[in-house]
Amino acid sequence: MGAMTSNRETWPTVIDGFDGITRIWDPRNNLCAAKILPGEYYVTRQHEIITTVLGSCISACIRDPLSGVGGMNHFMLPGDTSKSLSQWGGGECMETRYGIAAMEMLINDIIKQGCRKDRLELKLFGGGKVLAMDVNNVGERNIEFARQFVRAEGFAIAAEDVGGPHPRKVNFFPRTGKVMIRRLRSLQTQAIVDQEKSYESDLASNERPGEIELFD
Amino acid sequence: MKILVVDDSSAMRMMVVRTLRQAGFGGNDVEQAEDGAAALEQIRKSTPDLVLADWNMPNMTGIELLEALRAEENDVTFGFITTESTKEMRQRATDAGAQFLISKPFTTESFEKVLSTVMN
Repeated sequence: MGAMTSNRETWPTVIDGFDGITRIWDPRNNLCAAKILPGEYYVTRQHEIITTVLGSCISACIRDPLSGVGGMNHFMLPGDTSKSLSQWGGGECMETRYGIAAMEMLINDIIKQGCRKDRLELKLFGGGKVLAMDVNNVGERNIEFARQFVRAEGFAIAAEDVGGPHPRKVNFFPRTGKVMIRRLRSLQTQAIVDQEKSYESDLASNERPGEIELFD
Repeated sequence: MKILVVDDSSAMRMMVVRTLRQAGFGGNDVEQAEDGAAALEQIRKSTPDLVLADWNMPNMTGIELLEALRAEENDVTFGFITTESTKEMRQRATDAGAQFLISKPFTTESFEKVLSTVMN
């Protein structure tokens, strides 16, 4: 196979089920990049980039160092401010089900590619306090959840860049495990906050009893 | 009543146990297993009244657990709690004799609805 170029025909194949994720050409790295939005995740066996922009949301970058299979999610917990920080994580708060589901879907899809759970390497990013007037501290809650989840599941955090006042652009190279973070200027903050707000209100409006099916 | 929760994620097991409590099933004896193989061992020793199992798990998946139980003529009430539920999965679950399937992320209401129906 020839080198990858901006011509889509040279791009690596997508694992079934991830066809809906937008891929763009990254000229700086000469690789294609799967661009994930809040609520999405992506897993690949190929040498490509997974990229996203985070405000108060969290992304976990998870990979199997042996096979180079890896993936990334992008999630947040809807901000129920009636709970104290210590109640987050560990199944003590119903809002965390969104986070648990986001982590589980990513981990399951990596395992389905033939990777062992106990071999997976995990890195955490995001959870910024991107708006000064964010009294609910959504980012901090997201970080707290992610850390508690990781601890409960017995993973070690190989690297992290969380919290602080900056939005971040994350470029994850699952094949090598490299992650490149760019802290974004405040100019871009509002657009990122708007995107995350719209994702959060989607979560809230989709509040329905988890779909159930009773068999005869 | 004895309920066995089977999931490889301990965070998810905690969440299921908490949701059981909130749905009014907290007074029961709730046990946990981390995959299908461990669950099968536990069930062979003492059959619970209800098994709530994840689908995707290492060693032995939820559906393999159910099929193994039915092959041993164990007819314990069995339901799946899973992030993924394709038409094929639902068909295989029904064929194997599952009573229900709850999709994640789930709510207390979905537990109340299903459990009050199947446990009566």
